[in-house]
Order: sequence, then structure tokens, then C-alpha cells
Amino acid sequence: MSGTTTVNLERKVLSENDRLAAELRAEFARHGIFCLNLIGSPGAGKTALLERTLASFPQERHVAVLTGDIQTDADARRLARYGFPVRQITTAGACHLDAKMVVRALEGWDLATLDLLFIENVGNLVCPTSYDLGEAAKVVLLSVPEGEEKPLKYPGIFFKSKLMVLTKVDLLPYVPFRLDDAIANARSIQPGIEILQVSASTGAGMDDWLRWVEKPRV
Amino acid sequence: MHEVGIANSILEAVGTEMKPYAGARPVKVIVKVGAMSGVDRDSLSFCFEAIARGTVFEGMILAIEDAPADELELSSLELEEP
Repeated sequence: MSGTTTVNLERKVLSENDRLAAELRAEFARHGIFCLNLIGSPGAGKTALLERTLASFPQERHVAVLTGDIQTDADARRLARYGFPVRQITTAGACHLDAKMVVRALEGWDLATLDLLFIENVGNLVCPTSYDLGEAAKVVLLSVPEGEEKPLKYPGIFFKSKLMVLTKVDLLPYVPFRLDDAIANARSIQPGIEILQVSASTGAGMDDWLRWVEKPRV
Repeated sequence: MHEVGIANSILEAVGTEMKPYAGARPVKVIVKVGAMSGVDRDSLSFCFEAIARGTVFEGMILAIEDAPADELELSSLELEEP
């Protein structure tokens, strides 16, 4: 019998990634790990924020970092100086991390010894948007030299992030960045987005960020 | 661009779904893409064509439909049976 058949698919394009991410999320929940997926442009200050964050933790803090880059383990080496477990994920060309890379990177780590995991995504405001890594929340970083229009230009990631961290706020006096507009732009994409202002070089706003990270969550 | 990965996932899904229909030719796949999904439609179409070339999927139509928010879903697949 010949003819045309229509097969209903009705599922997510990235259902395989989502399945792995759901497994990761369940695993994190089982071990009481709070996992954050940090996303921002190259140079937005993701590594600097993490360095300052790790530096503020006591050595007994059960924190670890996975850091993604297309090439080099430079970020892992920067972050390893603080004495906490750090692993580099080198994507060899891929512009984002996916759940499978996270599963692989976590191999051999005893998750029972962790309660906080930072995943620093590849510097990119577009591609990481589509890939769930099993995180509790996506955090988007926007550095003030990038301009206040970023949320409008890259709405996807501002729509999906729980928190926007405005980084490098020590540069506000020197760059033409309209803070109010940046906040209004982010809220026009997602009214409920939380917003913090941080400078990893002066330490301004770090307390707010750390409080946000450590906030008890159900 | 990650549209290559997305296009690849679509073709993988099509390949899997075609298995029960021996000898069928894939004609069209409909995908729903929301404005907040982070997926660029033109890049996706470009990547889809590029990846499909030289395979059983060559010439297959990728139809992209609107969807709310960040949705990125496979809607349906049209096959021509022998």
C-alpha cells in the first residue's frame, strides 16, 4: 500500500539531552547539591566571579566547579588555586555544554561529598540557552561594558535565567551603561528575574551574591 | 552555532521514527520553535539541509512553525510509503 503517512512526534527536539539532565537533577537532589549553570558572553566575568566566590569560602565548604571552554584548561587552572575540586570540560568546538558532557565530567567524583556545584558554561549567550544541564537555576552574567541592550538582543537566555548578575559594576563611572535601562530591558523579557550588581575586582555586591547562593531553598 | 546540534537531533529522531516503516521515504518534518528558544530559524534550516545532503534525508522539508516562549518541539513527520 503506498501513500503518505504522518507520524505524530510530540516531544522535545532535545529530549535525549533533557532525559540526561533529568537524571542529573535527580542525582543532585538525592545528594542535596545546589547546582548553578553560569552563562555569559566571553569576557563577561564568569571565571572572575567564581574565583572571588571560591576565595570567600572556608576550606571545608563542599563546593566544586565544572568549567567549559572550547579549548584550553586555563580556567580550570585559575580556579583550582582555591583548593576545591575543579574540572575543565573542553568541548573541542562546541559552543555550549550539554548534559552528556556534565555526566562524563562528574565521573569519579563522590557527589555525596558536595553540596554546591557551579557549572561555568562556554562563553556564549545563545547556544547554552537550549541545553538543560540538570541545574537548579541558570544564572546569566551581563558585564556593564557590554551595554544595556543585551537582554533585548539575546532574549532567550534572559527569559530562562532565574538571576541576572550585572558584573564589573566598578566600571559604571567609565562606560556609557544605563543601569536602569538594563534592568528594565531584562524585566521586559522576564518580569520575575532577580538582579544583582557585583564587581569581582572590588568585591562590591559579593555579599549579596553569596547570600543568594547560600539562600536556603526547599 | 548549536543549530548543527539541533538539526542533528531532529534527523536522529526522524531516523528512529522511520524504523517501523520499511522502505518509506521521509518527506517533511515539522518542528515548533519558540522565540525564546535560542534557536535561529535560518541557521537551523541551513544546517538541516547541509547535514541531510548525501543521506536518506536529502531533499526532506524542514517546516518550522511558531510556538510559545522557549518551546523547541518535534511536531510530526510525513513519510511516503512504497
